[in-house]
Amino acid sequence: MPDKIQVSAPILHNQRLQKDYYQLDLSAASIAKLAKPGQFVHVQLPELQHRILRRPFSIFNVDLDSGCLSIIYKIVGEGTEHLSKLAPGDVLDLLGPLGNGYTLFPKNRKGIIVAGGYGSAATYLLAKNAPAPPVVLIGGRSKDDILLQDDFKRLGCELKIATNDGSAGHHGMVTELLTQAIAKTSNPAVAACGPNAMLKAVSEIVEKNGIDAELSLDHAMCCGVGACFACVVKRKADTPNGWAYSRTCIDGPVFKASEIWWD
Amino acid sequence: MADLRVDLAGVTLRNPIVTASGTFGYGKEYSSLIPLERLGAITVKGVSPFPSAGNPTPRTAEVYGGMLNAIGLQNPGIDAFISHPDYLPFLRSVDCPVFVNIWGRTVEQYAEVASRLEQERKGIAALEINISCPNIKEGGIAFGTDLGQAAKVVSAVRAATSLPLITKLSPNVTRIGDFARCAVDAGSDMISLINTIPGMAIDIETRTFRIANRTGGLSGPGIKPVAVRMVYEARQAVKVPIIGMGGVRTAEDAIEFMMAGANAVGVGTAIFSNPHCLLDIIDGMDAWLDRHGIADVSSIIGVM
Ligand SMILES: Cc1cc2nc3c(=O)[nH]c(=O)nc-3n(C[C@H](O)[C@H](O)[C@H](O)COP(=O)(O)OP(=O)(O)OC[C@H]3O[C@@H](n4cnc5c(N)ncnc54)[C@H](O)[C@@H]3O)c2cc1C
Ligand SMILES: Cc1cc2nc3c(=O)[nH]c(=O)nc-3n(C[C@H](O)[C@H](O)[C@H](O)COP(=O)(O)O)c2cc1C
Ligand code: FES
Repeated sequence: MPDKIQVSAPILHNQRLQKDYYQLDLSAASIAKLAKPGQFVHVQLPELQHRILRRPFSIFNVDLDSGCLSIIYKIVGEGTEHLSKLAPGDVLDLLGPLGNGYTLFPKNRKGIIVAGGYGSAATYLLAKNAPAPPVVLIGGRSKDDILLQDDFKRLGCELKIATNDGSAGHHGMVTELLTQAIAKTSNPAVAACGPNAMLKAVSEIVEKNGIDAELSLDHAMCCGVGACFACVVKRKADTPNGWAYSRTCIDGPVFKASEIWWD
Repeated sequence: MADLRVDLAGVTLRNPIVTASGTFGYGKEYSSLIPLERLGAITVKGVSPFPSAGNPTPRTAEVYGGMLNAIGLQNPGIDAFISHPDYLPFLRSVDCPVFVNIWGRTVEQYAEVASRLEQERKGIAALEINISCPNIKEGGIAFGTDLGQAAKVVSAVRAATSLPLITKLSPNVTRIGDFARCAVDAGSDMISLINTIPGMAIDIETRTFRIANRTGGLSGPGIKPVAVRMVYEARQAVKVPIIGMGGVRTAEDAIEFMMAGANAVGVGTAIFSNPHCLLDIIDGMDAWLDRHGIADVSSIIGVM
């Protein structure tokens, strides 16, 4: 059984969720079967011949009965704009599942998820596969940026929101919610995905509390399978300068907060 | 079923399709996606005498017709390449000829990698001398754009090994034929071309270079006509086998390179977009030859 597959995946649904966020459901049973929380698929943009590189998207959800694999994407450029115009029946070429994924939350520790932007999608399967529903903290600029609230609630998760403009939940940063959540829990297991600034703040908070966290990093990619060294991040290492480059696509995208060398 | 086999200075490939250095890692990365034993040959990422961290990020940018890269030849170094199970030991277990792409910062370093590989010849079909990387300060293109330097590197590597040698040429020269001849005169058994073409891209909103290194090498479909022209010119200059590459995506592209004079064809950037294209190109060449009633792929080499 190979660990990753290249398949042609017909689109089942492609629907706007909110603001610039869309959910894309694909028929990709063989990848769905292998997928672990925090892994991603590398998607070829059909017809955009001048956009030769694939685009990575976290696997949001899988349904093993129907073979459906879902991603959630935000329109940020030409590739994602193009994706939003595709319709059921159109076919996408997928490579996946790629990357290492999160460690499942252990039975004896409370899980805390911290998500920003598409981070809700990247951590959803982790919550779904947790031995007990984790605490989920989602941050965004405004209430339209908070994804998948109902989905997490349906899993039984305790959900807390933070928005920069105060339009929903706590008026402020999601990392403030993290500090509170850690204070209330003994030895929690923390997993996060979101903008770099958020992940850096999460690292600082967990370090201050003497615990670690698993962070899913976002880096522009080419091959997605570890062959080209485009996607590297600085990881602490026993070298003269204290770090060495690691490939986000294969050594990550999930890294321990304590391993990352923040510039 | 046409005969797709080609002979490269005594190295027989089951078909002319070779992975381009730096785009296929060390083979293992793609081994669960592509049956490696179907490929003509695997060329690995450039190996140096020392581990190399490569360039700062961002290292790549997608541009119209292709991409720019300035990876900066990140690699684990010759010791790890030889001993770590993911590199040479893995490749030895694969039924496919392996070309080891090598580089150094000085002439002596090129020779050093070559002599280490000479001692480890098992599973190595040839060495590809990279004198054409545009993304490192010392070594690379500095050797590939100066006839005297190019000759020194190739001669030093020649003295260090009896493995078949491929010299990878830079497109960043006015008369490619001179460099092809120079490499052959210095002892190279074959040549490969083209490496990437130096380029630049600027984000006009942030007024930053899109690649941290500022310049990067252009690859992908946009460079194909330049590459075909250079293969054609190199073919006029030398008789040795040529591995042609630059922007190949389809069987038709590969056939075009062979008609221009290539004995084998490298595929690089297209793998990022579609790993399966390697097999599609091989099968497509076979079908094209059948459709045209051509029994042996070698008969189209250099027909122009
Ligand atoms: C492991 C991983 C998982 C991801 N999961 C998701 C996901 O689940 N949902 C989602 O919406 N996005 C996800 N992304 C980001 C997504 O890949 C990019 O947003 C997408 O490639 C942009 O393509 P585009 O053609 O629309 O934009 P482009 O035209 O390529 O770029 C438009 C703008 O976005 C910026 N940009 C491009 N790529 C990235 C990137 N990787 N990160 C940040 N900015 C970028 C560019 O600098 C440019 O300013 C993930 C990225 C990684 C590495
Ligand atoms: C990301 C990347 C890394 C590369 N690394 C190397 C390398 O290590 N050594 C080398 O000789 N060429 C390297 N090349 C050049 C390719 O082998 C090839 O010559 C060039 O990309 C043109 O072919 P293409 O258009 O099919 O990619 C690299 C190219 C790319 C895109
Ligand atoms: S994207 Fe090629 S090594 Fe990570």
